[in-house]
Amino acid sequence: MQPNYRQEERAAGRRYAAVLLILLSALLGAALLSFWLGYYPLAPGEVVRALLSRLGWRGEVAPQAVTIFWKVRLPRILSAVLIGASLSAAGAAYQSMFRNPLVSPDILGVSAGAGLGASLAILNGLPGWAIQAAAFAGGLAAVAVSYLVSRRTSHSQTLTLVLTGSVVTALCNAGVTMVKYVSDPNDVLQQITFWLMGSLQRVDMASLGRSFWPMAAGLAVLFALRWRINLLTLEDEEARSLGVDTVRCRRVLILASTLLSAAAVCLGGLIGWVGLMIPHMARALVGADCRRLIPASTLLGAVYLLLMDDAARSMTSLELPLGVVTSVVGAPFFILLILRKGGR
Amino acid sequence: MLLDVRGLRGGYGGGDVVKDVSFRAEGGEIIFLAGPNGCGKTTLLRLLLGQLPAAGGAVLAEGQDLRTLSPRARANLIAYIPQQHTPIFSYTALEVVLMGRASHFSAFDAPRAADREAAFAALERLGAGYLANRSCLSLSGGQRQMVLIARAVCQSAKIFLMDEPAANLDYANQQLLLDTAAELARWGCCVLMSTHSPEHLFAAGHKVLLMREGRAAAFGPPEEVVTPQSLEAVYGVEMDVASIRDRYGAARTVCLPVRRPKD
Repeated sequence: MQPNYRQEERAAGRRYAAVLLILLSALLGAALLSFWLGYYPLAPGEVVRALLSRLGWRGEVAPQAVTIFWKVRLPRILSAVLIGASLSAAGAAYQSMFRNPLVSPDILGVSAGAGLGASLAILNGLPGWAIQAAAFAGGLAAVAVSYLVSRRTSHSQTLTLVLTGSVVTALCNAGVTMVKYVSDPNDVLQQITFWLMGSLQRVDMASLGRSFWPMAAGLAVLFALRWRINLLTLEDEEARSLGVDTVRCRRVLILASTLLSAAAVCLGGLIGWVGLMIPHMARALVGADCRRLIPASTLLGAVYLLLMDDAARSMTSLELPLGVVTSVVGAPFFILLILRKGGR
Repeated sequence: MLLDVRGLRGGYGGGDVVKDVSFRAEGGEIIFLAGPNGCGKTTLLRLLLGQLPAAGGAVLAEGQDLRTLSPRARANLIAYIPQQHTPIFSYTALEVVLMGRASHFSAFDAPRAADREAAFAALERLGAGYLANRSCLSLSGGQRQMVLIARAVCQSAKIFLMDEPAANLDYANQQLLLDTAAELARWGCCVLMSTHSPEHLFAAGHKVLLMREGRAAAFGPPEEVVTPQSLEAVYGVEMDVASIRDRYGAARTVCLPVRRPKD
């Protein structure tokens, strides 16, 4: 007979497995729902037939269904899943390593930098792929500046990073405002404003494919290092005494998280609150240990953004910007969470 | 020789805070670091940990120069127990103890069943197994200290550095801490801890390193080192060192600050 606390610890492990299983089924369910929603509903049977038709299956399926499956719904669903997963995983990693539960993935300026890159590309009339590339590069550049400036001080690195991040964010936002100010209000300004609101309306397989690899790389690194992230929640001196090279560990995590956020933003624009809110919900489900928190956050974020995107495109006859929907849902939810859990 | 410190010097850039400290420690010894505020106790601990680069001298642990060791190899030899651990997130005690295994596998690896078993064993050895699933946010100061000591045990280091571990503890928890330190010494570890209570020196110390202005004023068994003269020289306060018998007949030594009557 093992002592109680050992059995309890086992039970916590089983609970975690159950949570993952439920989240996986929820993801599957949400995906089927998303295929069905829309002016041409795809029932689960049609989804399977449309999927098989591309893989050499010769059965009866409406050509329209095949087109909508591959050209419209699938890229959009995969984008929502990947963006939700990326922002939530990056958010969970950042909240832990910055030792601050109120941090979001754009703390180092990745979103603002991506916004500036995209605005400049739109202003110069570049094609879609170039706007995406410029947004990605802008996001990486903003974080690189924040990081390099923070390395030049002797203060606590995490604190300095937060400060340099907000300075870079402010600078980039000023740049975006300037671009908006000089752009043609009937054409370019509209495009920029629309881009900044965040939406999955314009995604296709090509743009999804371009964002996929940085996301996969970032997720792979976060998953591989996820237990180590726990050690960065300690004071630096404490973590170093445990044999952790804190500076190097942080550098790798920032790089991976930045790849994730930049790839998410350049695909779907600015979609707020996901990376801040989802890690909290996941922590309430599986605890603070990043070994469990990162996978749970990733799955929960995927389900959440998929459902939010469904709401954005089907709540009204006119499609709502996804970034607006996540904010409208996210902000009150977050306040509720703070009031109930005492801010923890 | 487990720990051999030779002429160690170092500080924060504006001159050395620790000016010249030498001492040796064996496994199974508890060494107290005593001296007034600002005499360099914490700086000495940080030098021993490698958190500060030494300006001169050397630290040898099991005969190896600490400067030549990687952070991981150093963590396998020396554990650090901070004065306070301020958890931000609601980790369970077991998860915190498990963090002590970080130096035992590579960065991309995660703890396995054996590591979890070691974490449980460390808590159980200290009689704190019942804390395993409790959130560290809900633990008392004394319980948190136990969890940190368990983490150091789980780290399987041989040298334990504690920076004023008793500073935030009530009287009962201070006794528990001293008993735990004695237990660690019985297991063959060397415990080096700083303290502000002269009582502790006699209650649990095998040796005392009395520091004054960055130098070792005296080093040796408490009976030799801790005298009214040495205490007054270091702290600038008149003190009596008295031997008494407690109610069970055991010989005890206590330190009392005294004041010359006014007349």
